[in-house]
Amino acid sequence: MATPVIEVQHLKKYFPTPRGMLHAVDDVTFTIEKGKTLGVVGESGCGKSTLGRTIIHLHESTEGKIFLNGKDVTRLAGKNLKAAREKMQIVFQDPYSSLDPRKTIDSTVREPLVVSGRYSKKEIDEKTESLMELVGIDERLRMAYPHELDGGRRQRVGIARALALEPEFIVCDEPVSALDVSIQAQVLNLLKKLQMEKGLTYMFVTHDMSVVRHISDDICVMYLGQVVEKCSSKELFQKPMHPYTKALLSAIPSTDIHNPMKREILKGEITSPVNPKPGCRFAARCPHATEACLQPQRQEEVSPGHFVTCCRVHEVN
Amino acid sequence: MSEVNRNVPYLSIKDLVVEYMSDGQVVHAVNGVSLKLDRGTTLGLVGETGAGKTTIAKSILRILPDVGAKITGGKVELDGKDLLQLPEREMQQIRGNEISMIFQDPMTALNPVQRVGDQIAEVVALHLEPGSKTNPMERAKEMLEIVGIPGERYYDYPHQFSGGMKQRVVIAIALACNPNLLLADEPTTALDVTIQAQVLDLIGDLRKQFNTAMLLITHDMGVVAQVCDTVAIIYAGSIVEYGTKEQIFDHPSHPYTIGLFGAIPDMNEDEIWLHPIEGLPPDPTNLPKGCPFSPRCKYATEECRQGVVPVSETPDGHQCRCCHMEEVRKEREA
Repeated sequence: MATPVIEVQHLKKYFPTPRGMLHAVDDVTFTIEKGKTLGVVGESGCGKSTLGRTIIHLHESTEGKIFLNGKDVTRLAGKNLKAAREKMQIVFQDPYSSLDPRKTIDSTVREPLVVSGRYSKKEIDEKTESLMELVGIDERLRMAYPHELDGGRRQRVGIARALALEPEFIVCDEPVSALDVSIQAQVLNLLKKLQMEKGLTYMFVTHDMSVVRHISDDICVMYLGQVVEKCSSKELFQKPMHPYTKALLSAIPSTDIHNPMKREILKGEITSPVNPKPGCRFAARCPHATEACLQPQRQEEVSPGHFVTCCRVHEVN
Repeated sequence: MSEVNRNVPYLSIKDLVVEYMSDGQVVHAVNGVSLKLDRGTTLGLVGETGAGKTTIAKSILRILPDVGAKITGGKVELDGKDLLQLPEREMQQIRGNEISMIFQDPMTALNPVQRVGDQIAEVVALHLEPGSKTNPMERAKEMLEIVGIPGERYYDYPHQFSGGMKQRVVIAIALACNPNLLLADEPTTALDVTIQAQVLDLIGDLRKQFNTAMLLITHDMGVVAQVCDTVAIIYAGSIVEYGTKEQIFDHPSHPYTIGLFGAIPDMNEDEIWLHPIEGLPPDPTNLPKGCPFSPRCKYATEECRQGVVPVSETPDGHQCRCCHMEEVRKEREA
């Protein structure tokens, strides 16, 4: 098998807080093959954005290993880090706050090319222009400022900036959450088109289940810093096994007005990720929780490629 | 409480027009909107950012900003009484008591330096009838319990609550005086789906208990499908399609409505490409002549750009504002 573009082993990211250690990402392991998309879903505060940012070194990881094309990039610094970052980019959630309001669109897209120091003035001009064309920004808007653009166009600028140095891996951190559905579909199609043309590898972080189902090959479901279920997108929606995944899927309001789904309403809310207890973190809200759930949980491969972290997975299903 | 008149809908908005002034230009936010709502029912108002949804809700309560916003035409009748003509003093009695609003963002709707219980009690105290024996503090604790928060958390501040709990406090404030009409402006958009399910269930239960009518503003078709009785689709300040939930979901007839449904990734089908609505909503300071959707519409002809497109209505009350409705319907059913 070919080397995966991204491999993450037992990755942890803790933040010190006055109340103790906040376990934002706790022992996460996965690989993403070239040209594939891994969807990461979970509710706010589950650590999905922190996971993406830790992989591309916007946060220093606490423990664990990160491999890019088989090379250990966990503790890179200086020149080596800069080189690795050209291969790993991010598209941020909020196109309103992730662009410099005092820079024109043109200079935002141009900046990474200038910083890299690899291109001549003429090459930079050409590349900037082709990037704008690639993401569908009209010629007349190139000297505009972010406030003159709508959300969808701003997000296209964010994508052009991320693509400037021809990365292999892009973390898409809720890239369409701030957009209206009709515009959201335009941006999702653009991301898909770019992936097919350039063989890009995506990690797609979102809380929107219909979006993640559409875009992902494989999906990780996160709860309070841990991956509770991981399998192919198809399998997850057909045969969810973890009680949290089931509740999450059943909570999506369906647009089918004639077959109201039986909803499993969860009690309570996500508990604090500060100094969590050793057992299953979902146990407090889980309708199937027993004594055994208070013990540390182990990830189990219930069928080929389908991983679930729940000691009662066989009884529940 | 006024007598229930069987022939008049509880809330009736007629030809509402609202304009804003911005940089010396007129923003045409709401352009002749008419809506009806009966007691105990829910109307979903669906549209994209800037379509005028929140402006309509604020016009009903008359809480548009004093400077720059102006209701230039139309009526908002509650039980046959035009709210737009009421003196401000009478309007104050209606706000919070007869009509109340749930705001979109629970993070900013609460006062960060006031105890949550006091924020609920304040509404109760303001609307106390003379001689009433109600204790605002007791009522506030009761409301907290109703929305599933222990009464002893009366003394906590908003930052001590999670997003879902803050939204429940906002709901408790809105429902504290048993309003007959609830204006819910994207009440669950800021929440996670599992919490959204809890909150929607809660609003549903409370409405059943008090027979409250609700205007639900949302852009989420799934939420509409779960909660609403009737649906109005709004685009650039105009209602383009209006009918019962069944009419809108089973027989959408306006190209924009069909486009909205098509743009949502389908949970039951695998397709590589989504079907976005090409183009962007029009600039509200410079609306196109005729149908506002015509620049993005594949059915558009000269006729659409001529002048205001009239509303056509089927015998069972399904309204649609489109010159090519028959053609669109036929193509969709085929």
